[in-house]
Amino acid sequence: MRLLLAGLALLLATPVWCAEIPSDAGVSDGKTMAPQIIVNSGRLEWAPYKRDFTRWLTLSYQDRRATPEPTRFAMKLPLAGDKARGKALAWEWCITCHTLPGDEWPGNVGSPMVHYKQYKHADPLIFQQIFDPRIFNPNTVMPAFGTFGLLAEQDIRDLVAYLQSIE
Amino acid sequence: MKTLSFLLAALLASATLAQDIPYREYEPFERYEPLVSGDLTLSGTYQYWKDPANLDYRLAGNPDENWKLNWKFMDPPFNQAVHGGHFAVDRGERLFKQLDVYGNFASCLSERTGSQQNLRAGYPRWRADLGHVAGLEEVIEHCGAKQGRVLQNGSYDNSAISLYLASLGNGQPINIDVSAGPMKEAYDRGRRLFHTKAGAFNFACASCHTHNIGKRLRGNVITTIYGDAAHYPVYRTQYMLQSLQLRFAECNLDTRTQPLRPGSQPYTDLEVFVTALTNGYPISVPAERDW
Repeated sequence: MRLLLAGLALLLATPVWCAEIPSDAGVSDGKTMAPQIIVNSGRLEWAPYKRDFTRWLTLSYQDRRATPEPTRFAMKLPLAGDKARGKALAWEWCITCHTLPGDEWPGNVGSPMVHYKQYKHADPLIFQQIFDPRIFNPNTVMPAFGTFGLLAEQDIRDLVAYLQSIE
Repeated sequence: MKTLSFLLAALLASATLAQDIPYREYEPFERYEPLVSGDLTLSGTYQYWKDPANLDYRLAGNPDENWKLNWKFMDPPFNQAVHGGHFAVDRGERLFKQLDVYGNFASCLSERTGSQQNLRAGYPRWRADLGHVAGLEEVIEHCGAKQGRVLQNGSYDNSAISLYLASLGNGQPINIDVSAGPMKEAYDRGRRLFHTKAGAFNFACASCHTHNIGKRLRGNVITTIYGDAAHYPVYRTQYMLQSLQLRFAECNLDTRTQPLRPGSQPYTDLEVFVTALTNGYPISVPAERDW
């Protein structure tokens, strides 16, 4: 009986949709693999990809992990952001969708960031928009950079400093 | 003791119930028609590419406008100095004839008749022998294995055979029936999956290909999902020869989502959905696409 109870307790302690990578995912040794096509071969090779995505949700039906829910983050003032570093981050993370000054072939999925200073948004508001924009618009396509662990708090502070500096 | 066991059982049941529904996000707007002209209510670009023989090549030469042709100007008779897709067709033909010496490879592929001209237009389809809906590439792997030939789903040789079979049906409209049975179930699952957000950026396929068609991601312009299945497997300059399901894997990688293996059920459901949105559009292979 004691053994049975211990077993049940163990079962309860293990979440059913634990953070397991589904078996139909292209993963080897816990790392994201990319398919490699070999000409004139009947075999599909898999090589380690330059980035690892195993910690995020896949499209697999076996994937029982949950999407991180919309999260509020109360940014504490002062901003203390480095706008030069923010610019470098913006050219890495934002430029595909948003138009930034100086880009000659800009994206336009997101709103343009040129003359951003004129909007006079409060720093915490811009911070929240980058950290998790789903708070303002649940149907947004903008990634939640903070909630999904893509950018650290200081990174977002730097981005806000850069955006607020765009004349 | 009885109370304790009951309590534990109740706890277990509630835990399982709660855990059955993990939090998911979906892109809204699921209004599609399983017919290529349905694009008229999505992107409206169908008017520019509906007639492959009559494309307006002035649009093709303009980097601001060429996306409106849904890249159909790189379908045959594109033939810009014969691209790698043509070599793949030759390779596919050779392999097919090797495997089909006694006619059982072709009959395995089409289950009954052995007429290969209609194969591509009618896949994915329900396969009674496999017990599920399967894409053509999965069936090629299955039928190759019966003869001891390794033709992994997504491999060059597998896609080459698939491309050769598609080339036999060139000009024939894609025609899969998703109105009932397991095909309808697969279509519905695929449509739902198309709108399911996943990955580091929390993107669904629909985040771009339903809601942001015609917008720019720097040098790329997002195009419609209608009409895309007609030119697969496709020759792509970076991947050589790519099946539709490997394209999904690449899409996943590009949007920072862990890809799945070709032949997995989610990818097959997506293939059913995407192919149904090409219903009525003629097969055009071998085609080339950039990147």
